[in-house]
Amino acid sequence: MAKSGGKKRGPIATALGRVPRWVYLTAALVLAVLFPLLHSAGLMDMLWIRVAIRSLTFVLLALGLNVVMGETGLLNLGYVAFFAIGAYTTALLSSPSLGFHWSFWPLLVLSMVFAMLAGLLVGLPTLRLRGDYLAIVTLAFGEIVRTVFLNVTSITNGAAGIPAIYTPNIFGWVVTEPPQFYYLILFFVVVVVIALTNVKNSRVGRAWNALREDEIAAIHSGIDATRAKILAMVISAGVAGLAGCLFAYYQSFINPTYFLFMQSVIVVCMVVLGGMGSIPGAVIGAIVLDSLPDVIRATFSDWLPRVFGPTFMASWPAWLQSFFTDFEKYRLLLFGIVVVLVVIFRPEGLLPDTLWRSETHEEDPREQEYTRQTLFDIDEGNQDLEA
Amino acid sequence: MSFEQVFSLTVSGVTVGMIYALIALGYTMVYGVLEFINFAHGEVFTFGGIMAAVVLGWTGVSDAMPIWLRVVCLGGALVAAVLATVGLGLAIERLAYRPLRGRSRIIPLLAAIGVSITLQQLMILVFGPDSIIVPPSVVPAQFVTLFGSRIRVLAFIIIGISLLLMLGLTYIVRSTRIGKAMRATSQDIEAAQMMGIETNHVIAFTFAVGSGLAAVGGLLVTMYYGSIRFDSGYIYGLKAFTAAVLGGIGNIPGAVVGSLILGLAETYGVGLNLGLLMWFFVAGLAAGLYFQLVRAPKRRLKHIREEDRTPAYEREIMRLYRLAPVYAVRVALAKRTDALMAVSARHALQLTLGNVFLAVMAIVFFLNGHAQIDPQWQNVIAFAVMMIILLFRPSGLLGEHSQEKV
Repeated sequence: MAKSGGKKRGPIATALGRVPRWVYLTAALVLAVLFPLLHSAGLMDMLWIRVAIRSLTFVLLALGLNVVMGETGLLNLGYVAFFAIGAYTTALLSSPSLGFHWSFWPLLVLSMVFAMLAGLLVGLPTLRLRGDYLAIVTLAFGEIVRTVFLNVTSITNGAAGIPAIYTPNIFGWVVTEPPQFYYLILFFVVVVVIALTNVKNSRVGRAWNALREDEIAAIHSGIDATRAKILAMVISAGVAGLAGCLFAYYQSFINPTYFLFMQSVIVVCMVVLGGMGSIPGAVIGAIVLDSLPDVIRATFSDWLPRVFGPTFMASWPAWLQSFFTDFEKYRLLLFGIVVVLVVIFRPEGLLPDTLWRSETHEEDPREQEYTRQTLFDIDEGNQDLEA
Repeated sequence: MSFEQVFSLTVSGVTVGMIYALIALGYTMVYGVLEFINFAHGEVFTFGGIMAAVVLGWTGVSDAMPIWLRVVCLGGALVAAVLATVGLGLAIERLAYRPLRGRSRIIPLLAAIGVSITLQQLMILVFGPDSIIVPPSVVPAQFVTLFGSRIRVLAFIIIGISLLLMLGLTYIVRSTRIGKAMRATSQDIEAAQMMGIETNHVIAFTFAVGSGLAAVGGLLVTMYYGSIRFDSGYIYGLKAFTAAVLGGIGNIPGAVVGSLILGLAETYGVGLNLGLLMWFFVAGLAAGLYFQLVRAPKRRLKHIREEDRTPAYEREIMRLYRLAPVYAVRVALAKRTDALMAVSARHALQLTLGNVFLAVMAIVFFLNGHAQIDPQWQNVIAFAVMMIILLFRPSGLLGEHSQEKV
């Protein structure tokens, strides 16, 4: 990360960049672990724990989509399909609807496996397609999966959904309360972050990045493009399956409306905002975009009235008041505008990944140089041949 | 299954297909010029339809007016909607897409998705989340009886208007100066620039024409179904895109052909008796399996020289076509494999997927018995058509950049 700057950095950014990365990571982890204690101390409503759980679920999804979209540069617009497959696997095998009561770990694995199989099924034939066609095919796949869950009523109970999913029992720890779910999901987020960071820094991760930057050059450097892409697709589907399993347990009720196309788009927005290919970016992007509407609503209908008195907005025009107090209505509008603005003005996102930054700002030769040297091991002497 | 029924299904299929074509032309022209899928085109179409309905509402058109006045109102609303939609299309192009020209492929696509959500949400805010109804007094309610089936006059009006617009478009593209510039730009944008063509104007013009056609499509849809809603464009946009891909994206006649095929496939799929369709898919499956297990491996083996055809290799190829998924994975993961093996594995996998699709459809129709298909499945037909086309023939039925352009 620190290498990415080089030009036009303010003093604050420079100072922040000097702090070693482990400080940030530890601080984030400590804050995340202490967060529910605010509720136990009576300082915070249970609502915020629920918001945090939802945000963490989106963090998982954004991390998974980041593998395929950010690292490998393939746009998947049907990502929610894998999430739905994971959630339905868990819901069907751990609820009274079909009479199964499997325990947590086998179901977690099975949800991931089914999602990964679906990823393989979509990936094998479609990865030969050009990027934008792939986006449309995955979109169609997402819609087909949702339609199947909606219409095969004999198994999935159609639009009415699957109620009364059992609570998970993890080695005797029965997870029922939101704070417990919070820690459960936090644990998996940490595991996934560690795993994906390692994959990203491995041969496989470098192969993905090379494919994203220049597919032809990557293939000629000996990378097996199909294999790398399928691996990306399968891993990202697996993460979505995991998220789906946890989501089903937490909600204890699912139906097809949780898996609309818009959900896929929201996850895409999160990855774009955070910075494509950047793991901290995906985490921050998901948390910011998911919790922002709630934060804005609470700020204007709860926190600010407490500070300035309940009538501080009375002199404002009515539309402005309702804009802030019913911010939920403008959530998707906000997402759309954020994506357009980010893509135009800061395509590398909030917390950019070094390599992606170099692709989006093609005019900076130093960064292109960096890309070449990291990915393709082209040494100085061979530069002339390229020109 | 009577002739009358088939005839009336055909007419409604062609009507729907013509509407898809008006939208698909926008996708395909923009793709032809910029190689970029304008994801927000569905929303542009919705905007056109909603504007037309809203303007019609303002005119206060009612049954009390004489026919000619109603037609004038309709024409006025159409012109207003087309102008507003063209303005919208140009604004999107100028504000969101032009700054991104030349960036890597994924970036403009993301911008288009963002624009699409933004437009959809703005339409909810401005026009409300409910369906907007077109005043019934401008919709011709007459029926004609043709070959024993009653058909709405409106269907013929829609087909006529669409055909006129398509003829106009063909004239513009083939015989005018700007059309020539469009063809040049879509062939090679840099070369066109060097020849002194203002490619930015050409691109803006392409967006304007596409948006105008979409607005007409929006009005026709609103009249045909009576109402339009902020999210109508999502599904119409997807289907029109499917049609454009089906005919070969970037290819103008292809978009029309693809739209007609898709419209007919959908209406037949939903309208015909399902027991019949089940047998259709079973027959398709039988043929597909015969091809996969018997014909295809033999054909493939013809590509090997006589002296290389060891029995072991033949057995391997035969087995490959039987156990396609296993082999596809194995071949994909193998470090080195001979070219014929790789091609065969891919081909066998495609055949298997096709057969699986046919089997699933047969089962679905079997389970549904003789009931009509739930309209929900109608969309699945379109999506399945799209996936199959993209997998087996991504260049579409008529090819991507047709001869006509060259």
